[in-house]
Amino acid sequence: MGCIETELDLKPKLLVVGNGMVGHHFIEQLCDQGLNEQFQVEVFGCENLAAYDRVQLSKYFENGSAEALMLASVEAYAKRGIRLHLGKEIVHLDTETRSIFTSDDESSSYDKLVLATGSYPFVPPIEGRDRPQCLVYRTIDDLELISQAAKKAKSGVVIGGGLLGLEAANALLTLGIETHVVEFAPQLMPVQLNDKAGELLCEKIEALGVSVHTSKATSAIVAGEHARHRMIFNDDTFLETDLIVFSAGIRPQDTLARHSGIEVGERGGITVDSHCLTSAPDVYAIGECALWQQRIFGLVAPGYQMARVALSHIASTVSGSVATEFNGADMSTKLKLLGVDVASIGESRGVENAQYVELSDNQSGTYKKLWLDETGQFLKGAVLVGDASDYSLLLNQYLSGEKIEMPAISLLQQDSDVPVAFKDDAIICSCHQVTKADIVERVVAGDHSLAAIKGCTKAASGCGGCGALVQEIISQTMEAQGLETQQGICSHFEHDRQALFHLCQVEEISSFSALIGRHGTVDAARLGLGCDICKPLAASIFASLENEYVLAVEHANLQDSNDAYLGNLQKDGSYSVVPRIAGGEITPDKLIALGEIAKRHELYTKITGGQRIDLFGAALSDLPTIWQALIEQGFETGHAYGKSLRTVKSCVGSTWCRYGVQDSVGLAIELENRYKGLRAPHKIKFAVSGCTRECAEAQSKDIGVIATDKGWNLYVGGNGGMRPRHGDLFATDISTSVLVEYIDRILIFYTRTASRLQRTSVWLESLEGGLTYLKSVIIDDSLGIAAELELQMKKVVSTYQCEWKTSLDSPEFLARFSEFINPAQIPIGDTSKYQYLRGQRFPVDNKWGAGMISVKNVAVDPGEQGMDGLTAQVSPLKLVRQSTQKECEV
Amino acid sequence: MNWLAICEQSALPAFGGIAAWVEGKTVAIFNLGEQGIFAMDNTDPATGVSVLSRGLICDLQEDIFVASPLHKQHYSLTNGKCIEDESLSVELYQIKCEQGKVLINTAIVGD
Repeated sequence: MGCIETELDLKPKLLVVGNGMVGHHFIEQLCDQGLNEQFQVEVFGCENLAAYDRVQLSKYFENGSAEALMLASVEAYAKRGIRLHLGKEIVHLDTETRSIFTSDDESSSYDKLVLATGSYPFVPPIEGRDRPQCLVYRTIDDLELISQAAKKAKSGVVIGGGLLGLEAANALLTLGIETHVVEFAPQLMPVQLNDKAGELLCEKIEALGVSVHTSKATSAIVAGEHARHRMIFNDDTFLETDLIVFSAGIRPQDTLARHSGIEVGERGGITVDSHCLTSAPDVYAIGECALWQQRIFGLVAPGYQMARVALSHIASTVSGSVATEFNGADMSTKLKLLGVDVASIGESRGVENAQYVELSDNQSGTYKKLWLDETGQFLKGAVLVGDASDYSLLLNQYLSGEKIEMPAISLLQQDSDVPVAFKDDAIICSCHQVTKADIVERVVAGDHSLAAIKGCTKAASGCGGCGALVQEIISQTMEAQGLETQQGICSHFEHDRQALFHLCQVEEISSFSALIGRHGTVDAARLGLGCDICKPLAASIFASLENEYVLAVEHANLQDSNDAYLGNLQKDGSYSVVPRIAGGEITPDKLIALGEIAKRHELYTKITGGQRIDLFGAALSDLPTIWQALIEQGFETGHAYGKSLRTVKSCVGSTWCRYGVQDSVGLAIELENRYKGLRAPHKIKFAVSGCTRECAEAQSKDIGVIATDKGWNLYVGGNGGMRPRHGDLFATDISTSVLVEYIDRILIFYTRTASRLQRTSVWLESLEGGLTYLKSVIIDDSLGIAAELELQMKKVVSTYQCEWKTSLDSPEFLARFSEFINPAQIPIGDTSKYQYLRGQRFPVDNKWGAGMISVKNVAVDPGEQGMDGLTAQVSPLKLVRQSTQKECEV
Repeated sequence: MNWLAICEQSALPAFGGIAAWVEGKTVAIFNLGEQGIFAMDNTDPATGVSVLSRGLICDLQEDIFVASPLHKQHYSLTNGKCIEDESLSVELYQIKCEQGKVLINTAIVGD
């Protein structure tokens, strides 16, 4: 122990005060460069939570928890050898003795100190500002207070119509209270937007139900007559409300530095040089607390840049490497405020003598303005409202400082089908400073998916705004390399899935021979056999379009391993059987029936993640007998074998739960029964939660539904498994009929357009325009296909059949389940061997199977009790017995 | 030559596979119409499980293959070789149809 401490003591000490986004980024970069090995690093955060994503703060209300926002944890830091102290406020800094002191009088000395203390919300000195339920919007603790206050409030006012204020308004709206925004200036977002842009934003936000009051200065807050507060404005008007949120700007948190004698600016901010060094030796300041050339940078991207600059200076002191410099940062920004796309670039409010291009489209609700220099040849700034798709192009034009070769208006009239050509050094991801060249390099090295690029370059993993662009660069690079991106599913077809689907639909092709004959490659058409890629794909398309019995003569030999025998093939060649248990609701009688059937056929039983029961170990030839028994007991197929709807998981909902606000089980059953049997590009999972506590984990499903007190919130594109993704919030507070309408459209649109074996999560990310585009197609019917999509779903729903019932009803189909053409020749004493573990039958293992497992306090077999509190090693020898199939039969 | 009658030719499913017991072993039979009839050991050499008759038929590289339903290795119906793993191969049987019967030669086709 002593040794270790000595060793630690030998390392120089690096302390970081503040664990916000910038402080955390500093630590991430430090670890990436291995400097956590060279320094003894300790971090002090005054909040009780480790770093979280403050940019996405209002998501806290959508999810009801901070979990999805978390960026760091004490454990994750500890793994890198870094101590993270939470809830520790640093109250004193002594630059002479190089020590810091916490509020509970603990002290630490440092060799290097980084101040990343961020900022605090500015509350204007208005009389009555300290009344109860007058809150600020900055931390998760603040949000918790707002959330609690909103429960007792009918209405809320946000003071401040800037970027943060509108975020706060979004929060109040999400909490379901009447929402007002009060702004001192005559328009919203006066710092970034010009008057017309502010006006359009205002219209759009008012359409969402937010009341906007501009040119209003609050002079006092007093007790109200009809609500808790009355806000009195300087024009003698007033507004009554139960809850007030101040969001009138931020101020740099420089108190610690100020009291220690470190130089601060006149209007606040810790003065730093181009290495982010303060006036005290070895003390750095980064992020919103730092003042560089009299400027504060209140965005996350410049904060990250400062973090990297400070780190490179620290690294240079130990390794002699060259330190980079901070030379200011671009404050251009693109964001979504209350669902409205807003972007500002450079001098977004204009410059003197400027030429400009202004495009105001009242029909589509978009406004764009470009500010050019006097000559009209250089882009100086831009503002975009309602549609920010030109942002990356304009930003690069602005940052490059290059002459605009065409008339400037052409910058706003890019044909969206023509890919934009970026220069190699163009910054694609401004959060993480990733250039096009960085991305291209990784694509050439073999990272071909957006997920992989996110992982290795961090591009699109900050605010995520550049995701579509990164995808485009991946595709462009792959094409340039001569790699096929999505085209040609296999050697038999030069089409992708979407094209094949379209061909089958338009030409009404319903057999594989017709498809490969007409559209296969010349060689493929000659033999006409296809392969294990194109055949199951064709079968899936035929099923999506016509929904015929999947084992009908013309389709049976196209089906993949599981579909081919309507069961899930297991490693030993046996199948598992999964009857549908819609919504996870099952009567005791049916549960008993399942148990009896499983027992009779000696099937291993396991509860699945989708709230149903999987019965394993059925021989192919036994499937019909088992299904006959199941169908007699009122079960139907669960389609566990199909690329189709699996389950709609649900929590118990308002019928029993004290917290439930809607009948989640009822809806889950309705949805499962509606969409069962739909063949899709891949499996589809749903879940329905009865309240915001989200016990059904709906956000991890392809389609997730969460009850609100007004209806349902719909989430799309979630996924668990290998690549977890939270679903995107698609629509809020919708009725059951609208919900079904949207899901109908989404699922058929997915079925039509997704690639082979592409889950909804990846599909959604691959759609150009992503969620916004999907919403426009589904909600606004921008392609004019909504009715067609619904009709298609109606057809699928009305032609549903239980494939097992159809199979059992016709002897010619049933013949398929005879595994052997000459079953009478079965040798005496079949070779199938099983072992018994924990009271159930398993295949005898070769190398992978159940094997020896330690069990604790579990009955392993009738008469074989686990030892109480002890770990019993189940001897395979004792429990293994050989079984012939004959023994299994009753 | 030891030809064994397995079943009626009419009993074979068209364009698909089926398994048969041949002297205590399982054999996969594939009836591909014009392209002929093929027989191979039903055991997937990659896993040791008797499943190949349930695989999908593929034409690839100017040959005909069956894809194992377990992990999709492709085995040639004409030479038994595996595309993905040179070390794997399946034993082939001679098969023919005579007077409406399907016959298999119980002597394995050696290589």
